[in-house]
Amino acid sequence: MIPALRSATNTTARTLEIVRVVLLLLILGAFVMYPVELFIIGHWLDSWESLIPFWITIPGVIFTVWIFFDRKTPWVRWAFIITMWAAIVTGLVGAYWHWIWNMEDTRGIAWNWSYAMDQFHGFRPVLAAMAYTNMGVTGLACIFRAR
Amino acid sequence: MLERWMNAKTEEGKVLGFLQNFFLLIAAFGFFFYGVEHWVIDHYMESFWARWPFYVSMIGFPLAIVMFFTTHKAVRLPFTIWMVVSVLTGFAGALLHLIWNANDLGVSLFTISGLLESFQVPYRPVLAGLAHTHVGAVGLVVGLTAAVKESSSSSAPPHTAPRDTAVTRTERNAP
Repeated sequence: MIPALRSATNTTARTLEIVRVVLLLLILGAFVMYPVELFIIGHWLDSWESLIPFWITIPGVIFTVWIFFDRKTPWVRWAFIITMWAAIVTGLVGAYWHWIWNMEDTRGIAWNWSYAMDQFHGFRPVLAAMAYTNMGVTGLACIFRAR
Repeated sequence: MLERWMNAKTEEGKVLGFLQNFFLLIAAFGFFFYGVEHWVIDHYMESFWARWPFYVSMIGFPLAIVMFFTTHKAVRLPFTIWMVVSVLTGFAGALLHLIWNANDLGVSLFTISGLLESFQVPYRPVLAGLAHTHVGAVGLVVGLTAAVKESSSSSAPPHTAPRDTAVTRTERNAP
């Protein structure tokens, strides 16, 4: 992203690269901050599923930093894209399981409106998990047609 | 923003238009969703400042929607200013959540253990306030770049002449 920003020869190209760089910086900040937050709130349980949001941030940080300087090398592009898709899936699956576990801790799984909504706002935040989906989608948008 | 995207002529213009519209959609969705969320979780208490994030969402959402259809200065300027307000609201919200948590627990924020305890209060999440900062930052990127006029030519290198290959030589020499 940075070499493309430096070599942009007109206003449109420069603006496009600035948008990409700023949004990529937001993602990088999120990939650094979320594991810290998860550590503080104790999202470090015995099950391997609870560690997934930690593991995903490792390639997240590495390839987001890498893509700032090199977005042409095919394997780096693919690694970044796959990591972003993994973040999207992690967010969706995390939201689903937070919801299900909230229900299991109460009166079991049931999908009537009022009960499901109550559990949506239960102990485990359902929407918080989707922050990862947001990061992944933003990353994919940044790399879209960036060559 | 939609019109700028549809009228873009260069490759960069099209991709820039796509990204601006995409991030404007994220901002609009964020404002709508957080407005509903604040209402659902009863972030609507007696004090004015408790209702403030709700007001930010309720004003931010229509502004973002209008931005899809016009980037006139009369819309762009209030939208951009409101995005700055949203960014500051998020920071202030996170800080206030942290301070109120510490007050409720009776701990000091200037100690490591007090800070960590204040972060862990589930009913007043500290970082949730930063959601407004995120939505505002994404919208701000769109607002600040919405006025940029598309350059007439692409910055991509021009097509080079096809190489003089054996096939083209054969075609040239054909009767």
